[in-house]
Amino acid sequence: MPEPPLRETLEVEGTVRELLPNALYRVELATEGRASVTAHLAGSGLLRLRPGDGVVVEVAPFDAGRGRIVRRR
Amino acid sequence: MARACRIVIDTLDLLEEAAVPGTTTADLDRIAREAIERAGARPAFLGYRGFPATLCASVNEEVVHGIPGRRRLAEGDIIGLDLGCVVDGFYGDSARTVGVGRIDEDARRLMETTLEALHAGIGVCRPGKRVGDIGHAVQSHAEARGYSVVREFVGHGIGTSLHEEPQVPNYGPPGRRERLVAGMCLAIEPMVNVGGPEVDVLEDGWTAVTRDRRLSAHFELSVAVTAFGPWILSEPYPYAETGEEAANA
Repeated sequence: MPEPPLRETLEVEGTVRELLPNALYRVELATEGRASVTAHLAGSGLLRLRPGDGVVVEVAPFDAGRGRIVRRR
Repeated sequence: MARACRIVIDTLDLLEEAAVPGTTTADLDRIAREAIERAGARPAFLGYRGFPATLCASVNEEVVHGIPGRRRLAEGDIIGLDLGCVVDGFYGDSARTVGVGRIDEDARRLMETTLEALHAGIGVCRPGKRVGDIGHAVQSHAEARGYSVVREFVGHGIGTSLHEEPQVPNYGPPGRRERLVAGMCLAIEPMVNVGGPEVDVLEDGWTAVTRDRRLSAHFELSVAVTAFGPWILSEPYPYAETGEEAANA
């Protein structure tokens, strides 16, 4: 019986709330509880985001406090 | 584990004979359960993550995880039979796709290629190779014949539980993923489609079908990596037994 492969990361939608130093962003997740994560950009870093922008963030199951912004929403 | 695998293969032999036009998949499930229990084993799938049966019966465009039911097999169908059992705490897991009555040339060729792809994967199971080499061998074989391999489901380590580390995909670059060492046991299981590789899971939460609804075949064997190469656990130990190896086998 084959098993479905484990997803190593979870993609969650969120909204940028704050710009942090070192090209980090505070992103509020559109999940219950509206948890927020400190997220970095997945790509080249040329993408500039402003508070209010919708994004999709990858979150590792073992570290819910950090994320990786994969694309705009 | 060799005993568990042997029981699975013997039961699959029974099911292959029983898969004739007019039989329902529920009939096959009953035969499977009775045969496994008669052999002193326990079905491994029944209740596993809520799966409701002993056998996964996947007809034609169904890839894997088909739930047995009232469906009657018809002449020309192909059916994937996937079965697992537990003996003394050890698991065996194997699958094959069989034709019902006379099947057409396209179906026969798909089944033949899938079985060859499985053996291509098994062939690389020796210490020093990596899990990615298995997937690469399977994928290369299937795609060279114009088929595609399913990515949404993967093979797995097997032992005292049904699904163990590592995951064994049927695709991907060689030389990647975990290194194989003697003593590892893997369930290698290519799922090969005539059309595209995409699959959908039906509303029952289990049955996986090809998105384009074209044919799919599935073969699986549980294999141990030994110092001398692969050992298909349902078969006798294939290497000359000498010294230390004999003690471990």
